[in-house]
Amino acid sequence: MHLLLIGISHRTAPVDVRERVDFHTRGVGTALAALAGRGSTREAAIVSTCNRAELYAACDDVAKTRQDLTAFVSEFNGVPHPQVAPHVYEVSDVEVARHLFRVAAGLDSLVVGEPQILGQVKEAFSAATESQTAGPVLNRLFHSCFAVGKRVRTETGLGSGAVSIGYAAVALAKKIFGDLAGRSVLVIGAGEMGKLTAIHMKSQGVQHVTIISRTMAHAARTAEAIGGASAATWDDMDAALGACDVVISATGAASPILTKAHIEGVMRPRRSRPLFIIDIAVPRDVEAAAGEIEQVFLYNVDDLQATVRENLARRASEVERAEAIVTEEVKKFAAWFRSRGAIPTVIALRQRFEAIRRAELERLEFKLAPLPTDARARVDEITHLIVEKLLLTPTEQLKAIGDADTIAVYTEALTRLFSLGEPSQNDSASGESDRRVTSFPRPGSTPRR
Amino acid sequence: MHLVTLVLYTGAFVAYAWHFTRRDAAVGRTATTLLVAAALAHTFLIGMATVEIGHVPIASATSAISTFVWLLALSYLYVEMTTDERAMGVFILPLLVALDTIPALLPGVEDQAAVLQGPLFGVHVSSLLFAYASFALACMIGITYVLLFKEIKAKHLGFFYARLPSLQVLDSMNHRAIVIGWVFLTVGMIVGVVWTAQARGYAFPDPRVQAMSLQDPKIFVALVCWMIYSFELFAARRIGWGGRRAAYLSALGFAIVLLNFVPISYFFTSSHNF
Repeated sequence: MHLLLIGISHRTAPVDVRERVDFHTRGVGTALAALAGRGSTREAAIVSTCNRAELYAACDDVAKTRQDLTAFVSEFNGVPHPQVAPHVYEVSDVEVARHLFRVAAGLDSLVVGEPQILGQVKEAFSAATESQTAGPVLNRLFHSCFAVGKRVRTETGLGSGAVSIGYAAVALAKKIFGDLAGRSVLVIGAGEMGKLTAIHMKSQGVQHVTIISRTMAHAARTAEAIGGASAATWDDMDAALGACDVVISATGAASPILTKAHIEGVMRPRRSRPLFIIDIAVPRDVEAAAGEIEQVFLYNVDDLQATVRENLARRASEVERAEAIVTEEVKKFAAWFRSRGAIPTVIALRQRFEAIRRAELERLEFKLAPLPTDARARVDEITHLIVEKLLLTPTEQLKAIGDADTIAVYTEALTRLFSLGEPSQNDSASGESDRRVTSFPRPGSTPRR
Repeated sequence: MHLVTLVLYTGAFVAYAWHFTRRDAAVGRTATTLLVAAALAHTFLIGMATVEIGHVPIASATSAISTFVWLLALSYLYVEMTTDERAMGVFILPLLVALDTIPALLPGVEDQAAVLQGPLFGVHVSSLLFAYASFALACMIGITYVLLFKEIKAKHLGFFYARLPSLQVLDSMNHRAIVIGWVFLTVGMIVGVVWTAQARGYAFPDPRVQAMSLQDPKIFVALVCWMIYSFELFAARRIGWGGRRAAYLSALGFAIVLLNFVPISYFFTSSHNF
């Protein structure tokens, strides 16, 4: 069994290709059903986000499946093959694990360390489970990748720190006020930037948003757009400044509208209640000296951008640690995956032993025939147990081998020693479904009566 | 025997420092485990001493320090468990280790003086020790507040920004610790006054009882502490001295407490030299 990945992502395809290769348009479940119907894969899963569309498959014939999957991508999405083909990348076997682990860890994301991707990968796997296209191999692969994602989140700083201005402002507000629930925000100016930041704050639990604009009608319109916000006139400025915790200033004024002296006057009745001022206007709305006032935290656009840059740099410095975790987990997965290479030999060996047992029972039939039925059943049971016990250790040992070369040596030796390749066994080991493996007694679960 | 607790406290300190810099959850759990082990070993020591002398060992400067360290470790563990916040450990542990070296290296002799046999003695000493432990916590929380405050104010969001809880949380933790400390300090001081008045009756010949007055450095400095914390509690916030200034005040207050607790107890006081 092999692993195969065919996909496009923000690294290989421009957005106009990515938006056309979107499995969500017709539904991932539908896509999985269609893919399963083509019969080129044993197991399949589809990870589809706005930045990537990837098909993960377990198959027997890599070349054939590769062709079929590429064809499927263009056919299912109705995009001509020549338009997709140049952007498609493919990876096989253990490297598939490395790729998926990096994706789940956020290492392959547009914004390194973004947290949504792990959830999207989880959704992809549950869709595959629901469509019954996930089998033992993808099961193991995806569960390993969840573990990688979790480890990278808890053991490295890859996902820490805000990487957009809106998030940076919210993160700062939380660091000053703790919980934002019950806090109130004042937006000065009815422009788009102020509105967006206010909406962002509101989604974080801010209780009340007030909009002040030179034109009351503009303020009222913005307040309505935000929802649950109120508008106030320019004359209410001092009262509003006194009552709020966070000020977002984003007017188009040519000179500062809030001076240090003005804010000092507002701060006096507030005593020691902190005031967080986010000045996202260019030119600035708030006199820089206002930041010197005790309990006033003043951040302008450049300051926020600087923290975003710092966070991105910090994330970049964590990449190495995250990659180390990925490598470690890939090794574990690889050992498991390669040990599956021994499974056909295990099956053949067991079938060989069973065939011999049956043949011998048949040969001795004339001697066993006079025995009472329960004694015959006993003979059958005892011979079966002997075969099981003889095979227990070899089976365990074969399954524990983690490297392909050793497996090849063992397979060769066993095939010769027990003539496993010969057709005289009147069975068809190679044609057996791999699923049969699961019905074999596992080490430890073998009945030992 | 006390060396075992000292070693455990030191081990916990190393683990807390490691956890603070590397933010490894497993190391953090190890740190807490070590501190719990240290506190348990310390509890055992204090329990043994209590059985031996018939009361909690607080009747010498050294054993009072030991009991203080024990109370502080327990208070810190309480804060850590209720807030699920380990970042403060690295600030508290150095104090625990430093103070615990005193009882570990020079075991104190419990004073059996007549004046110490009164029932108020235990109340007086234990409430003051508990107050000091609260003030120690408030001080460490105050220091972390200032560190975080400076980072946010200077717009260099770095080391402490990533590790400490919010300013609001630190401020309210500090405030709570000061309230608790102030209540116990007040109780301890009132009990001390009452007890002195009684002791003048039954243990007057003791020169230490005669020295119980405001002129004694230990008593005077304790009163100064009480005034500083009263100011922080009742006046500071009203005149806009919240946040960073309150944090500085709690650090100053505890510096004086520590001065009163160690050097003054050992070298200067003539009333409290048990």
